[in-house]
Amino acid sequence: MSYIGHNGKPIVERVSTANAAGQIEGLPRVPISKATAHEVISLSYGFFTPLTGFMGRQEVDATLEKMQLPDGTLWSIPIVFDMSAENIEKFDVKEGGSVVLEYLGAPMAIFEISEIYEYDLERMAEKTYGTSDARHPGVKKTLAYENRFIGGEIMLINEPVFNEPFSNFWLTPKQHIDALVEKNWKHVVAHQTRNVPHTGHEALMKQAWFAANEDMPVDNLSTGVLVNAIIGQKRVGDYIDEAILLTQDVLRTSGYFRDSVHRVSFTLWDMRYAGPREAIFHAILRTNLGCTHHMFGRDHAGVGDFYDPYDAQNLLKQYRDGLGIKPVFLRENWYCPECQEVTNSALCGHDSKSQSFSGSVIRSILTDEVKPTQRVMRHEVFEVVLDSAAKYGQGSPFVSEQYLKDRLPVFTLKQLEELD
Amino acid sequence: MSKQAGSIKINVWINEERLEALEKAGMAQLAEDAFAGMKLLAISTTEEQKDLLLERYPSAKYDSATTRSIELLPKQAKDRLLGLSIEMHSTGPEVLGRFLEEAQS
Repeated sequence: MSYIGHNGKPIVERVSTANAAGQIEGLPRVPISKATAHEVISLSYGFFTPLTGFMGRQEVDATLEKMQLPDGTLWSIPIVFDMSAENIEKFDVKEGGSVVLEYLGAPMAIFEISEIYEYDLERMAEKTYGTSDARHPGVKKTLAYENRFIGGEIMLINEPVFNEPFSNFWLTPKQHIDALVEKNWKHVVAHQTRNVPHTGHEALMKQAWFAANEDMPVDNLSTGVLVNAIIGQKRVGDYIDEAILLTQDVLRTSGYFRDSVHRVSFTLWDMRYAGPREAIFHAILRTNLGCTHHMFGRDHAGVGDFYDPYDAQNLLKQYRDGLGIKPVFLRENWYCPECQEVTNSALCGHDSKSQSFSGSVIRSILTDEVKPTQRVMRHEVFEVVLDSAAKYGQGSPFVSEQYLKDRLPVFTLKQLEELD
Repeated sequence: MSKQAGSIKINVWINEERLEALEKAGMAQLAEDAFAGMKLLAISTTEEQKDLLLERYPSAKYDSATTRSIELLPKQAKDRLLGLSIEMHSTGPEVLGRFLEEAQS
């Protein structure tokens, strides 16, 4: 089996769990945040191929200025490790040295420090997001970085153990590729989601399946939809992670997608809401999962009114040559009372009568616990929303302060004494 | 939902149980077809009431861009608003006025 990722680069796992306790003996231990832990995992398994660690200055410069890595590979989002000068001194972090990254009290990875540098945060924010407006969540995240960055390679020494229900959906990039081969999929279209699916989403996935199938025969089906949910930092009011995965999955187990054309998995990633640049990043990420196509709808990875609805599609078109994945561009689906169906705004001409799937309206229906009609949401999906709310969300399918405080962790790590 | 100009609203989505309660009160005709076969009862609010309500329920959101409605109010709040609407035979701002009074007492 060949495991080839973005720009034809091999997917290399940087995981070394043998004698982990011995490997870290005497090294300084640096605690990291959940967001950084997610990126450590993604770097280690090759989700961010060809990156093998956190970026140095040259890589950040090239990403921001030229939308590429120093070797010319298309890249759009800085992947950086920030730390205060004070902590650098406190933890004895030095160029040429190594430290152990520790998450929730457990050693997680070895970080080989190749560079410590400063960076202009406003410039980083403005180039990445096209704005320096601090109301943009990505800008806010960037401006909150500490005053130093550390570049260097990562080696995972303690593999995450995913808890239910995440364990049923976790695949590394290599495992994704194996799974797609097992399904006999020649074409795979990625659906990026952070949502419980309504019928508008379902129809988009079905439209994308046809686009991705292209000219392949349909007597034996060899195209699939990979629903790859983003699991990461949550905001109050978001759908809870468990509901997203379980409702997406029930579309297949209830027969709305054949078993042979649909699969659900997830990637650990904190959304940056970088719109166009994040769309490029999503394309790269899903190339590394073995996908051949990627759905891009209206306002992909956008937030508020910072981007025009088709900015992301336009940037993808501009960098099409550097992508190893074919974008499937879609317009929004709406419900049309004239057509009496969920249909696409590219096709339906009853604009004035269209009823759009506003996210807040769907959330409002679910909050009222009023069973949606089948035209809005599959009944099986609604049942799973209610079950997930009861089981994982303290009664709500939406993230609350209490959920953030009390939720079961997505994964756990072995403590030092449990390591080899 | 279609874009609607006009006053700020709270949308109470109507299921069979809620429709039955409206029918008994002779208010079923006020439940309008809103979205893909789903009905809702729209309760009007003033700008001032909207601000007070959002202050009381920080998880609620005002959708100023598309529907001009206050969304994500807890179900218990919607149930009480519907109850008051039926009791007062109204969908005007006085319903929310009473609701806010009750919340203060």
